[in-house]
Amino acid sequence: MAKDTSTQTLRICHLYPDILNLYGDRGNTITLVQRCLWRGIDAELTTLGLGEDADFSDFDLFFLGGGQDFDQFTLLDDLGIGKPNSKASRLVEAVADDAVILAICGGYQLLGDYYIGRDGVRSDFIGAVPFYTDSAPERMIGNMVFTCDDFDTTVVGFENHSGKTHLPPDNPEVSPLGKVEVGFGNNGEDGYEGLRYHNTFCTYSHGPILPKNPAFADGLLQLALSRRYPGATLAPLDDRLEDLAHDSVLKRLRG
Amino acid sequence: MSHFRTICAAVVCKATYAVLRALGRGATSLPGKLALRIYPDYLSVLAQGVHTLVLTGTNGKTTSTHMVAQALENAGVEAFYNRSGANLIQGITTEFSIHSTIGGKPRCAYAVIECDEGALRRVCASLDPQIVLVTNIFRDQLDRYGEVMHTRENILNGLKNAPHAVVCLNADCSITASLARDIDNEIVFFGVDCEIYPERVEDLSDATHCLWCNHPYTYDYVTYAHLGGFVCEGCGYRRSEPQIAVTEILERGSNTCTLEMRVDGEVTEVVADVPAGYDIYNVAAAVTALIVFGFSKEEAFAAVGQFKHGFGRAEVFDLDGVPVRLMLMKNPAGCNQIINLLLNEPDEDMGIVCLLNDNDCDGTDVSWIYDAAWESLCTHKHTAICGGIRAEDMALRLKYAGMPDGGLHIVKSYDDLIELLAKQGHAVTVVANYSAMMDFRARLAHKLGRAGFWEG
Repeated sequence: MAKDTSTQTLRICHLYPDILNLYGDRGNTITLVQRCLWRGIDAELTTLGLGEDADFSDFDLFFLGGGQDFDQFTLLDDLGIGKPNSKASRLVEAVADDAVILAICGGYQLLGDYYIGRDGVRSDFIGAVPFYTDSAPERMIGNMVFTCDDFDTTVVGFENHSGKTHLPPDNPEVSPLGKVEVGFGNNGEDGYEGLRYHNTFCTYSHGPILPKNPAFADGLLQLALSRRYPGATLAPLDDRLEDLAHDSVLKRLRG
Repeated sequence: MSHFRTICAAVVCKATYAVLRALGRGATSLPGKLALRIYPDYLSVLAQGVHTLVLTGTNGKTTSTHMVAQALENAGVEAFYNRSGANLIQGITTEFSIHSTIGGKPRCAYAVIECDEGALRRVCASLDPQIVLVTNIFRDQLDRYGEVMHTRENILNGLKNAPHAVVCLNADCSITASLARDIDNEIVFFGVDCEIYPERVEDLSDATHCLWCNHPYTYDYVTYAHLGGFVCEGCGYRRSEPQIAVTEILERGSNTCTLEMRVDGEVTEVVADVPAGYDIYNVAAAVTALIVFGFSKEEAFAAVGQFKHGFGRAEVFDLDGVPVRLMLMKNPAGCNQIINLLLNEPDEDMGIVCLLNDNDCDGTDVSWIYDAAWESLCTHKHTAICGGIRAEDMALRLKYAGMPDGGLHIVKSYDDLIELLAKQGHAVTVVANYSAMMDFRARLAHKLGRAGFWEG
């Protein structure tokens, strides 16, 4: 147990807030920072836009939000996919090194091996997690609910994507986050949503996901804290308003 | 032949309008749509002999239209407006038709038409307007790269179909002002020469780089977002000195402000019936349109001091002595402007109510509230009441923006909310998105009756 929390610091990196900035996803970094500060944990937020760089090994937690399909391709140059010591290759290392990563929608797709567009053209993505995405003729839009076994919670959010993500069927290291109760999830077909690989968590859920799903937010923070300060645990917070927002949406969606 | 087709179109248009109205339905687009199908040139026929002002641009069309309408009303001029907000060619055709005879003769000398940017090309081709005014160009909520330039292209195509129009452009918007280079019309620039807000949120700029040479702009001053005294040091493109401008904000009230305005080099003090925020651009725009229309400065200034506010646009109701001001929030950019206004609110005790719905007309995704800068508001305000279908989401947003848990109150019933507001010892501002505003305003108006309207 950590006795003196005032010395604890978590370093959070928000990648491409200038490009991957749709649908209020910045609410996730706001949530991570606030939930640290409310517990007396220092939270340092670094934003890295196009052309900006930093030493990735300094960070405890990375966040990638959603963007338009078009924008993702403008990122590929900056990521330097396939090049040594590029942002892409250092993200691959961070994932393998158990850094905590949250990636939403477009950011989710980018972490995979490749993407096949509507025109059938294949684009190589970062390849930090073994999966791929192709595209559906119809966008999958609407409120969503899914179970998240790792954090023992039911997540409420909002999805808006045309990409259909397919996890490898025979790789036990890649598991879905949970089962879809309302909405489409990864591909609208197999009933699963998101994935976990090491400490990397990917989901299609905007909303943004973290404010209304405090168990999910704290699950990520606990992993980051344990990795930086072995044995340290998060103090509880007053989540009555978070729970109220979560439950009211859940009630509305379950009807 | 064309006269016969005019009569046919008129009969169909007017009859459809009458039937829809009798059924209690909004009769805005369909009558005009049918009439144009019968006679594609119908609108051109109706527009002959009408002095037409067309207002377009991303924000401010409605408020500017209301100010211009007030001046025409004061002058006793027969005029009509598309106040219903149907601003595509079908709705505009309906308005012209119901203000014309069956034979297509206009019943009014003047028309003030707000027009969607995408519809401007066809509308201008039909109307041959006397004045076209462009308020500003911003990207809308989820529009992305290239969209802003696409909007400019649409407006330019419209202006090219208005060869006889005097074109009034916002000098402070680098995208809007740039239209002057691409047209041969007479140009009148309007603008704001000074900062509007002593304190303001950091907005995303839609125009960081020069659209002629791609060099980053520098600014002498910023009013809000990308508006202000822009200068491109790459190619020399810069803000033109406007002929009509707000030069200073002399006094800031919650519902009115006193401005210093310059018209053709002469400076006058003007009292405007809007708070001292982004609306002062609408004051400059309306005064400009009226002066180009041939009104005197005095008539123009009088109109901006007494116009009727549009739906949820800084409307004020008197609730048992408590002034309740309604502000419509539509997207993060618009929401940030309301936050700017609240940051600079002269009434320190102003209470805050935020109503959030997620009906289809609002957008079912409420995540955009995280893209607005509530953090700035929470440095000044420590309590708020939240309502609407997604009241809990709104309250949670404010909590994460820094409002203390104990300061957040959720009131789901509008009747309870109205009762609570009536007991406040101070004015309140209700910020709401579309359907929440509709519902709340209806409850409030029902409770107050017409007498509830604040006579400003």
